Amino acid sequence: MGEKRIIEVEGLVKHYGEVTALDGVSFSVEEGEIFGLLGPNGAGKTTLMEILCGLRRFNEGKATILGFDLVKDSRKVRGMIGFCPQETLLYDLLSVLENLAFSASLYSLNRKKFKERVDFSSKVLGVGEFLNRKVQQLSGGMKRRANLAASIIHDPPIVILDEPTVGFDPNIKREFWELIKTLKNHGKTVLLSTHDMYEADELCNRVAIMDKGKIVALDKPHVLKKTIGGEASIHIKVKDTQTKKALKPLDKYSHILRDNEIQIFVTNPWEIMPEVSNKLISQGILTEKIEIVEPTLEDVFIKLTGRKLTEE
Amino acid sequence: MDPIIGVAKKDVKTFFRERGTVFWTIAFPVLMLLLFTAIFGREIPFTANIGIVNDDKTTPIPIAANIISGLNETKVFNVKIFENKTEALEALNATSIRAVITIPENFAFNLTTGMPASVSLVVDETNPDTARLVRDGIRTFFAEFYREFNKNYTEPISVIEESSITQQRIGYKEYIVPGVLCYPLLFSSMVASTGAIVYERERGTLKKIRASPIRPLNMLFGKTLAALFQTTISILIIAVLAVFLLGPKVNWNIPLLVPIVFLGSMNGIAIGLLISCIGRSPQEASGAATTIGIVLQFFIGMYFPLEYLPEYLQQVGRAIPMTYAAQAVRDIMIRNAMLSDILQPMVVLIISAIILYAVGVLLYKRWVEKE
Ligand SMILES: Nc1ncnc2c1ncn2[C@@H]1O[C@H](COP(=O)(O)OP(=O)(O)O)[C@@H](O)[C@H]1O
Ligand SMILES: [Mg+2]
Repeated sequence: MGEKRIIEVEGLVKHYGEVTALDGVSFSVEEGEIFGLLGPNGAGKTTLMEILCGLRRFNEGKATILGFDLVKDSRKVRGMIGFCPQETLLYDLLSVLENLAFSASLYSLNRKKFKERVDFSSKVLGVGEFLNRKVQQLSGGMKRRANLAASIIHDPPIVILDEPTVGFDPNIKREFWELIKTLKNHGKTVLLSTHDMYEADELCNRVAIMDKGKIVALDKPHVLKKTIGGEASIHIKVKDTQTKKALKPLDKYSHILRDNEIQIFVTNPWEIMPEVSNKLISQGILTEKIEIVEPTLEDVFIKLTGRKLTEE
Repeated sequence: MDPIIGVAKKDVKTFFRERGTVFWTIAFPVLMLLLFTAIFGREIPFTANIGIVNDDKTTPIPIAANIISGLNETKVFNVKIFENKTEALEALNATSIRAVITIPENFAFNLTTGMPASVSLVVDETNPDTARLVRDGIRTFFAEFYREFNKNYTEPISVIEESSITQQRIGYKEYIVPGVLCYPLLFSSMVASTGAIVYERERGTLKKIRASPIRPLNMLFGKTLAALFQTTISILIIAVLAVFLLGPKVNWNIPLLVPIVFLGSMNGIAIGLLISCIGRSPQEASGAATTIGIVLQFFIGMYFPLEYLPEYLQQVGRAIPMTYAAQAVRDIMIRNAMLSDILQPMVVLIISAIILYAVGVLLYKRWVEKE
């Protein structure tokens, strides 16, 4: 991973009338990393990405892409970014290949380079088998691949993905994560947004946690979890009728009851776990589940904002 | 690939895959032409009684008789002969005849010796439409008659072959064909381009385009090229059907018609693109385009001359670029206009196209961001 700063954002402010969608956002993305924007709906992720892609103006601040000013060199900047928005932006009546050709024409790709990129899309992104099928005949997963292929047809150094896996079933999600990692291995710098903490954790080298138009924390996922999410805890689930009884012997540990689960917070959960287990057995309490849970980015978010990432 | 071509190619491909769109693009001009053929294609059954007074009693050759039989041959006029002008004018006042032609003394002598020869004409003005047809018919007849006479003045003169020309000259068909030909300038061009941007915006694909380095003007030009393709289909269908079904006696001056129709289409398409930039949904945009198209058709002199409108509405007509295209097309087709005659409308069309595209770029840049 290089130290070069690919994207630099300083004090971005964006208002939509009364609503402040971005409230002074600053961060930078380094060459070759996967950088995640993690935040709930309405945090301002899409707004931020669309500004970087030249789709929206902003009220204050400054942003540069590979050293070029977002506003002054907007055409140059557009050529360096491949933007894959939340929706699938393909023409249903055209084949995948025709869609790719259209996208390529927007970037004035020549024939040779286009052929190369179609090869790449076929082999690496796996659109080869349905290259000549009309988009309207594709499955959801195929469409998303084709969509990604079209957004990076011009081989941009920066790939911006807005909630790339939202609405996917778990298998396709995994496949897509592999694809995104492949892009990184091909030397791309990736900026992605998500409200899925696992996705951020699994994929991103660094994560910026966003809430209400602000970045509230920014670091590597494990650092965030450790410094903000806190220590691992022991989660115990017993028969509902025995929960009260089970709390008694556990009184000496700091604990809470959440969703019918007893959560015990100690500095050394691995050492304490056998002891806890024995105590419950000796009281004749049947445990349905006992496990050590590491803090997640969700916990980090809750600690920072007092709210959950996704409203259930 | 050039981005302009890329955008156009994509749109044309999409066009061909939407069967309904293709169907209506073809059905529209076909229906229009069939309708116009049904209405105007038959022989126009216009006839008028006219009176002739022959004061030239010294005629060495039967010129007066030739004129009378020639007028009768046109099948437009029934000629009645009057002994003197007073009687004829009485008949005119009683509207039993529509016009009185008087052949003066020495008419034949003047004609055969190359001196100025004239006939006098009085037309019944009570019905302006009839008066116009009668006047045009008689004028044309004498022009043809004189031309024929000069060519071959030693022979008895006959105008029999020319009679059909006289009759066709006053047909409405020749007036209407250039108008119908201009129909696509309003409808096809606007329909084809109105969806252009608003549709991409609704589908979200405009984001992809706007995130790319394609210049706004090139984007508009790409859209224009595709719309031009559709407009051309309509115009060609109308032109071909018009020739076969109506067979108007008009001047198909292709080298002049092509640039004028092209410029007219560009203006229509540009207006459609403006609507497309502003429209918030395809439905709204197509509603606007249809309304504007239907209203504009009365201003651009398609069915009747602009002069028929009240003065203030004529001003509106003159503010619409397509009026100039329609007028120029008519001038070329029925008045045999030359390049020099249509330079002014051409300049007007070029300037208005430049203005419309400049506004289009502005709207595309400023307006489209608000979603
Ligand atoms: N076009 C718009 N007009 C007005 N408000 C908007 C618009 N787009 C987004 N917003 C508002 O801006 C805030 C941030 O939205 P968005 O950037 O879409 O967040 P996210 O992508 O993180 O869900 C929200 O409060 C949203 O309602
Ligand atoms: Mg979003």
